[in-house]
Amino acid sequence: MYCKKECIAMLLAGGQGSRLYDLTKQTAKPAVSFGGKYKIIDFPLSNCINSGIDTVGVLTQYQPLALNEYIGNGATWDLDRSRGGVSVLPPYQGNKKSDWYKGTANAIYQNITFIKQYHPDYVLILSGDHIYRMDYSKMLEKHKETNAACTIATISVPMEEASRFGICNTNSDDTIYEFEEKPKKPKNNQASMGIYIFNTKTLIEYLELDEADENSSNDFGKNIIPNILANGEKIIAYRFDGYWKDVGTISSLWEANMDLIGEEPVLNLRDNQFRIYSRNEARAPQFVGKNSTMVNSMISEGCIIDGTVVNSILSGGVIIEEGAEVYDSVIMDDVVIRNGAKVYTAIIDSDTEILAGATVGKKNADKSDITVIAKGSVISPEKA
Amino acid sequence: MANSAVGIVFSNLNNNTLSRLTRDRTVAAIPFACRYRLIDFCLSNLVNADISKIHVIANYNYRSLLEHIGSGKDWDLARRQEGITLISPYQTASASGGASVFSTHMEALKNMRQYINEFKEEYVVMMDSDCVLNIDISDVIAVHEKTDANVTIVTKVPDGDYTSKHPRMFISSVAGKINNIAMATAASERNPELALNIFVMKTSYLRILIGEAEAYGLNSFTDMLMKKYKHSNYRTYCFTGYAASVSSFLDYYKYSMQLVSDTEARVSLLNAKERPIFTRVHNSAPVVYTSTATVENSLIADDCVIEGTVINSVLSRGVHVAKGAVVKDSILFQGTEVKRNAELNCIVTDKRVTITEEVKLSGNPTMPFFIQKDRRV
Repeated sequence: MYCKKECIAMLLAGGQGSRLYDLTKQTAKPAVSFGGKYKIIDFPLSNCINSGIDTVGVLTQYQPLALNEYIGNGATWDLDRSRGGVSVLPPYQGNKKSDWYKGTANAIYQNITFIKQYHPDYVLILSGDHIYRMDYSKMLEKHKETNAACTIATISVPMEEASRFGICNTNSDDTIYEFEEKPKKPKNNQASMGIYIFNTKTLIEYLELDEADENSSNDFGKNIIPNILANGEKIIAYRFDGYWKDVGTISSLWEANMDLIGEEPVLNLRDNQFRIYSRNEARAPQFVGKNSTMVNSMISEGCIIDGTVVNSILSGGVIIEEGAEVYDSVIMDDVVIRNGAKVYTAIIDSDTEILAGATVGKKNADKSDITVIAKGSVISPEKA
Repeated sequence: MANSAVGIVFSNLNNNTLSRLTRDRTVAAIPFACRYRLIDFCLSNLVNADISKIHVIANYNYRSLLEHIGSGKDWDLARRQEGITLISPYQTASASGGASVFSTHMEALKNMRQYINEFKEEYVVMMDSDCVLNIDISDVIAVHEKTDANVTIVTKVPDGDYTSKHPRMFISSVAGKINNIAMATAASERNPELALNIFVMKTSYLRILIGEAEAYGLNSFTDMLMKKYKHSNYRTYCFTGYAASVSSFLDYYKYSMQLVSDTEARVSLLNAKERPIFTRVHNSAPVVYTSTATVENSLIADDCVIEGTVINSVLSRGVHVAKGAVVKDSILFQGTEVKRNAELNCIVTDKRVTITEEVKLSGNPTMPFFIQKDRRV
């Protein structure tokens, strides 16, 4: 059956996320909880549907179980379609060789057949580890207007952090003349957000070239983009000025969670015009008991709170018993914090129980000193 | 294996006594327990017993019910086979006394006779949406089977001095076998059990009842049961958990408040792990408490922003309580705005009500005050 889409998205969700340590031991990074009721992948998928993109290939590799189950048929994001919708694309065995995805470019290369099915004019490449709200249709508009072969979304980062990113050096008309992956001496602070729009023809051409090059590390930032530039093709920077955060590390994940609270939160999820969708778990409404004190916090459905919660983000079904105290922390699904237990500056993964009298984390700790408790742990007073 | 049963949910045959809450909606669509509508409990009870063929009988004012149910997806009822079917009202020859659409259970059943004739399922579970409880329907069916009953009625011995605004079925039974049924407004020594209007019977038996009702020109399902219980095996299934039988606005208020004051009640209705209550998904953000929030003993739905004080209250989705505002013993429906320093005591606000700065309103627990949809005070 012939099916034509103007633009489809390919979402790279295979990363191990090793810098999230215990949080990604059994879970791919995109399936890590964020902001109470969300998972990281809810953001790019919601962005897609909110931008009118209804065909998304999700490339998975590392620990795909939780992620696959979470994506399901895509109904959560209105991506259960008979033409298009969401497709999970794991590595598979071909007739010649079986291959894990070697790099970001190779992952897309191995799925060229999937792309061709939809005859798209443009392909949007996304990562599964960023928190942001973005209307990709505006970026696509600019891509079309400027007749570019490729458009890269960029964001201003503090100069001192620029060497951690792919930096786009641009002319005054936003054409990129040089792309430097993690430069030691960055020339400016326009960082690539890892979001690319390609003309399908250009993309396939360069993916095939890249695959033929045995010395390539098959990476968009290191190989594909520099190669396109070297051939004198037009790459445009699309400057994005909204909230964007790479949550690839414990401290950035914690920080992004904290960005949700405060008098004027940096990241406000209460925007009904641009909702972030997430899978619903049919939990009871939250109940706040007699002895609770809640300050500057975000709390999800199914929680039962009878203790103190300050500057914290609680996912679904968390129980905070009377006398328990939680400060500056991110508490994931179904964690139980017993009477008198104290939690400071921590990320506690789901199904963990902090026993009565135990203390986790350090009071007023710096963001570089966040305590992480793995899924399903039981923390007793002696252990802590 | 799935239960071989069909669910029939009556959405609103008792509308008249809840006039304030049903001005713009049918009984089944009344918000309850902060994030639910009354019908969610019926649908969830059925779905949790693996009953996935459900007919919902609508009568009038059912627009918000339609919107709420949608395709039925949120209850896993959007199926190619089975799933949810809404029976909309239509003019009928069997309506009583000049009414143009059906007004009793039996008339509604007569009207869907064709459907009932086609049911392949062995059992029918009928329920009214004004009874709110979380019950294991599979167990009711199992007991029904084991006792070889003709009809099993779920009942409860009401707590305290329950009085209904309109007559309800009160029953007495010995070892489960019904020996008396009467219509009354309160329990008596003679008839201590209140019917929660969940009826289980074989589909074939329902066909017989409808046939007899047609033959004798009976239009009341209750009359039918009262006529027959003496000569048949009619039994009760006495439920002991929380059950709200909402017959008036005051009932509505009391039963809502019980959910915040009585932990057992709350757990029985909302926190049964194996029987979650499903509702329409709105994808709203979690609740935000700012540095000035004080909350005690309250049920709070997603998308609320709490900057003020909330005590013993039930807040639906998207309620905003501004700094300095105090909400006590109140029920606030979706989108209610309580502005700075406003005070509410024993108030029920319908959707999108705005309470402006400094306004103080007070009802009384025995006479809570209701504010209509979209009003600005």
